[in-house]
Amino acid sequence: MTWTGHYLDGRSADRRRATVRLTATGLEITTDGGATRRWPYAEIRQTQGSYTGEPVRLERGGEAAESLTIDDVSLLTALRQAAPRRRARFHDPRARRLRIPLTLAAGLAAIGLAAILYRWAIPAMAGVAAWFVPVAWEVRVGDAVFDRMARPESRCKDPERQRVIDTILARVVEKQGTGPYHLRVTVMDGREVNAFALPGGQIVLLRGLLDITDSPEMLAGVLAHEVQHVLRRHTTRAIIQHASTGLMVAAIAGDVSGLVAFALEGARVVGALGYSRRAEEEADAEGMRMLLEAGIDPSGFITFFENLGRQRESVELHGVWRYLSTHPSGGDRVETLRGLARGAASPPVRLMPNYDWKDVKRICSVA
Amino acid sequence: MTVELETPPQWPAARTPTHHRLVFHGRGGSLFGIHIVNVFLTLLTFGVYYFWGKARVRRYLFGQTELDGDRFAFHGHGREMLLGFVKASIVFGLPLTALNWVPQLLHAGTGTKVATTVAAYALVTVLIPVARVGARRYRLSRTSWRGIRFSFRGRTAEFVRLYAAGALLTALTLGLFYPAFTVRNHAFMMRHSYFGNARFDFDGRSNGFLVNFLYAVLLTLPTLGLVWFWFVASQRRYFWDHTTFPGARFRSTVTGGRLLRLKLGNLLLIALTLGLGWPWATTRTARFTCRYVTMEGALDLAAVQQQTQMATATGEGLLGLFEADLDLG
Repeated sequence: MTWTGHYLDGRSADRRRATVRLTATGLEITTDGGATRRWPYAEIRQTQGSYTGEPVRLERGGEAAESLTIDDVSLLTALRQAAPRRRARFHDPRARRLRIPLTLAAGLAAIGLAAILYRWAIPAMAGVAAWFVPVAWEVRVGDAVFDRMARPESRCKDPERQRVIDTILARVVEKQGTGPYHLRVTVMDGREVNAFALPGGQIVLLRGLLDITDSPEMLAGVLAHEVQHVLRRHTTRAIIQHASTGLMVAAIAGDVSGLVAFALEGARVVGALGYSRRAEEEADAEGMRMLLEAGIDPSGFITFFENLGRQRESVELHGVWRYLSTHPSGGDRVETLRGLARGAASPPVRLMPNYDWKDVKRICSVA
Repeated sequence: MTVELETPPQWPAARTPTHHRLVFHGRGGSLFGIHIVNVFLTLLTFGVYYFWGKARVRRYLFGQTELDGDRFAFHGHGREMLLGFVKASIVFGLPLTALNWVPQLLHAGTGTKVATTVAAYALVTVLIPVARVGARRYRLSRTSWRGIRFSFRGRTAEFVRLYAAGALLTALTLGLFYPAFTVRNHAFMMRHSYFGNARFDFDGRSNGFLVNFLYAVLLTLPTLGLVWFWFVASQRRYFWDHTTFPGARFRSTVTGGRLLRLKLGNLLLIALTLGLGWPWATTRTARFTCRYVTMEGALDLAAVQQQTQMATATGEGLLGLFEADLDLG
């Protein structure tokens, strides 16, 4: 059996009609001029012709290879039979029927793999990687963010009331210690009900949050939560996770630019919210453990979230909204905390029994 | 007044036809099959397979593009693209990252911060042209048609000078120099591109579409920016219509409306499918590009001789650090 196609010698762009025959040892190519070339099977590679509508291209030689193009894919089947030891080098046209089921399988596998990476592999990897980031780097990054965010004129500097807050912090971390971190709490004058922890040990409380606390135990709960963010390196982990999900999205969507990239960034932000929720839950649980070990009454922590939930229902405080959108939702959270608090061993000692707690809220009123 | 009679061109009978069309045969479904396997393997190998996937996609796209009965071919490999990316990251990416972060981490003073920022911008102004030339050198060297390799032989230093001067002039003239800047860049790219030993040429002038540019600037607000589709189309027509190859001239019939339809459709295809529509957007773009570009004249192929050139994938990797993949449009 013979096939017809075109032969190119790899030196000029002049293509010649050719007739191809298979022999025991190789291809025999006869061009229009009558010249005959023999290609041993061992030297032939197939570079095109694996897809419907694509002519078969066989090549022989290095960079300036000779090539042969033939429209009829039956040549491939014949080649696989004539050179059984090299059949893996040639595409099997019958395998095309498997393409659709294979594509579906690969699609499902890709979705499954992406889910596994997102749910377990990336957080686990980020958790490990975060411990290799030097604390000094975290401190520098945290300080740089702190300088930009908490402008000196909005910091509340009343030394006596600051001492009250520092005393509570010291009690919270008394048993567990703070590892390599030097923790500092700063109160900022703002109506929002919010608190955040920066990598490296800076903790910022907004006055709005202080305003809705009724006891030192409530503040102790909030501080324990934020301290856990620092000790467990949640921000550093979030940065690593953000970079990893970015790579994952790039892998799924191919190379895109402009508006499309912008749309995909949205998907990534939604993914990041899932991670931040888990960090919050961890900070709650570990913060509660910290309180119990320090012998602080956990009911303050729980009441704080109950108050937060109630305020969301009654008063329109946009700050509360902000706080809840990045933190676990009220009801579930209170329930979880109650469960954790049941392990309390000895009856707790009250913090600062002789101090009028309302006084601390004036920390921003004194110049 | 004399009337000039148009004499029909007398081509030798054995020459190839005078109208050459690019035809793209690829289908979104086939590319999706390739793409989804690439996604799976890329996730499985934590990104390493990405480069092999890229090579497979290009092999498919090139193999589906036909000119005068013959398909193009891509000869690049995943391994060389991975090496190129690693090399570009170490040689260029690290210094750039260092310039961005070191002042932050060291609590440097304002003077040092300003100095490192300026240095970073200067470095990028040099690296972008290095990347563009390098990527073009790599891509052309790995592309063939009728068994003959393309190549790019422009000198990197020359393009860096051209680019840096152009960028500076564009900034100093508040953008007025921009059309001339793009013409000069394009002329450099074309005039140093070869098919075998035959060179492409470009005969456009620097102020070729300055007027169009001014119109586009003036009409940006009234048309809500849509005028830029018209501008980009006119720019592409200008670039192609002034590009020649021994014996032939390119012609483009792309219009702003068609370009707008293409881009809008692609955006919807990708955004509504959360990225999975990428293969269809890509084949649409390839079909679009081929449909509106033709070559006219008797291609002088008999004289073309193979002349391969060396090229590494470092520029390709470097371009990957800066911008998304080449836009086929």
